Amino acid sequence: MSPEISNQSLWFLIIFVVIPLSVSYFYQLGLSRNVIVASLRGTVQLFAIGYILTYLFDLNAYIGIPLMVTVMLVVASFHARKKGKELPYVLPVIFGGLVLVEVSVLAMWLLFGMVEFIPSEVIPMSGMVIGNSMVAMGLALERMKSEFSENRGRLLAALSLGAEPKQASTLIVQRTLNAALIPNVDRIKTIGLVQLPGMMTGLILGGVEPIMAIKYQLVISLSIFSSVSLSAMFVTLIMYRHFFTENKQLLESEEAMLAYASNQEK
Amino acid sequence: MIEFRNVSHGPLRDISFTLQKQERAILFGPSGTGKSTLLFLFNRLKDPEEGEIFYNGKPLTDVPIIELRQKFGLLLQSPNLFPGTVLDNLKYGPSLTNSWRPGREKELLEYVQLSPEMKDRDVDHLSGGQQQRVSLARTLANEPEVLLLDEPTSALDDKTGEDIETVLKELIEQQGLTMVMVTHQMAQARRLGTNGLFMNEGTIEEHGKIPEMLEQPQSKALKEYLQG
Ligand SMILES: Nc1ncnc2c1ncn2[C@@H]1O[C@H](COP(=O)(O)OP(=O)(O)OP(=O)(O)O)[C@@H](O)[C@H]1O
Ligand SMILES: [Mg+2]
Repeated sequence: MSPEISNQSLWFLIIFVVIPLSVSYFYQLGLSRNVIVASLRGTVQLFAIGYILTYLFDLNAYIGIPLMVTVMLVVASFHARKKGKELPYVLPVIFGGLVLVEVSVLAMWLLFGMVEFIPSEVIPMSGMVIGNSMVAMGLALERMKSEFSENRGRLLAALSLGAEPKQASTLIVQRTLNAALIPNVDRIKTIGLVQLPGMMTGLILGGVEPIMAIKYQLVISLSIFSSVSLSAMFVTLIMYRHFFTENKQLLESEEAMLAYASNQEK
Repeated sequence: MIEFRNVSHGPLRDISFTLQKQERAILFGPSGTGKSTLLFLFNRLKDPEEGEIFYNGKPLTDVPIIELRQKFGLLLQSPNLFPGTVLDNLKYGPSLTNSWRPGREKELLEYVQLSPEMKDRDVDHLSGGQQQRVSLARTLANEPEVLLLDEPTSALDDKTGEDIETVLKELIEQQGLTMVMVTHQMAQARRLGTNGLFMNEGTIEEHGKIPEMLEQPQSKALKEYLQG
């Protein structure tokens, strides 16, 4: 198979855009504008990143890697924060968690010689780790908020029986972690059967031996698996405290939380 | 025993009253006047924004908060049971301080007139009345001195409500408990209460002995409230 795709054949990709567009049109989903914008934006982003990557990969590793990884961490933090804007300190917590995850995964890779410290290896693999961790943190935050509001009565009951906030939140923390980790476990279970993982496919298309490709895929899949677990745990275990005051009282609502946090800072 | 001095919080404005040991106070008044909020101030699920609360002459905040919450047992309007068995729920409070004695569930279930075999039942499979009984037994497991009850029977049908009421009355009399109960049912107030606190728009509009207060209401608001 030739990895060369001609520019003419790229134009035919428009057909793939026309399909969701017509679905949206016929069922009046009002998504047409979104579909067009998303496709254009995605295309521009990909070409841009293609050129940037070519440039980055030629840079010295000690400049290119920190530069790109920092950009990824910052963008991912701001994105995950959207799921928990009302919560105090959510941005620094997410950022800290992502840094922790990235640094530990990177250390493992380098320590055991799984990955070479060159931009063309570290950057794409870090991107996958950070991206998946970002999604997991967002999921955990959303889930935690809904568990806190659904279980308000139970939390009040637990506190009234003399539970510490930590004890009262056990159930919520369990459910949140469960929800954040299940898709992750499912993905590992069906790996290679339903979906051939992206990186492995890419390497094989690029002419790498399947066995080599599988080794790389194993490294990245398990790295993602553990970093997703770590990041969900990190945000959950840090953020649940912010639903309580230091007098072991449950805060009224998310607005109350913000007000409380800003009072504490004064 | 418990004194509120010019307490304000949320809907509550300038609340002052004293509650004696073994008094059974009925807290009543229109919806949204802050009755539940007032109850939450006793066990410090909320703290006053202004004013102070005293317990045996000392600020309420002097009592370690966990100890306070065990002493002041709160029963919420709905059962809010934890997932698991009846026994899991009964053990919850005492287990937090490692003071659960195995076998105690028998006595607790008996208090609320449930059979001992119920202990292994999943709480999701209980009726509303049974759940509220388990919830009451769970509160009693901490051996509270003061019972704070937020409309304990309002979610139940009349018959079940009356059963729970009988259970409560016996318990309170036997154990000499102090009680603060929110209720909308005046017949229940007469059966269970010694004193009444009538709340309206966040303040205590009128207070006094229970039958008198209901028979000779002084304020216009209470008269209107009693006429329905
Ligand atoms: N901290 C607060 N600040 C402002 N408003 C509050 C605060 N806490 C509670 N409220 C509001 O006060 C009102 C009264 O609350 P509460 O539940 O105590 O009334 P209630 O007398 O128990 O009513 P019901 O009979 O319906 O149970 C509610 O509308 C609630 O939203
Ligand atoms: Mg209420």
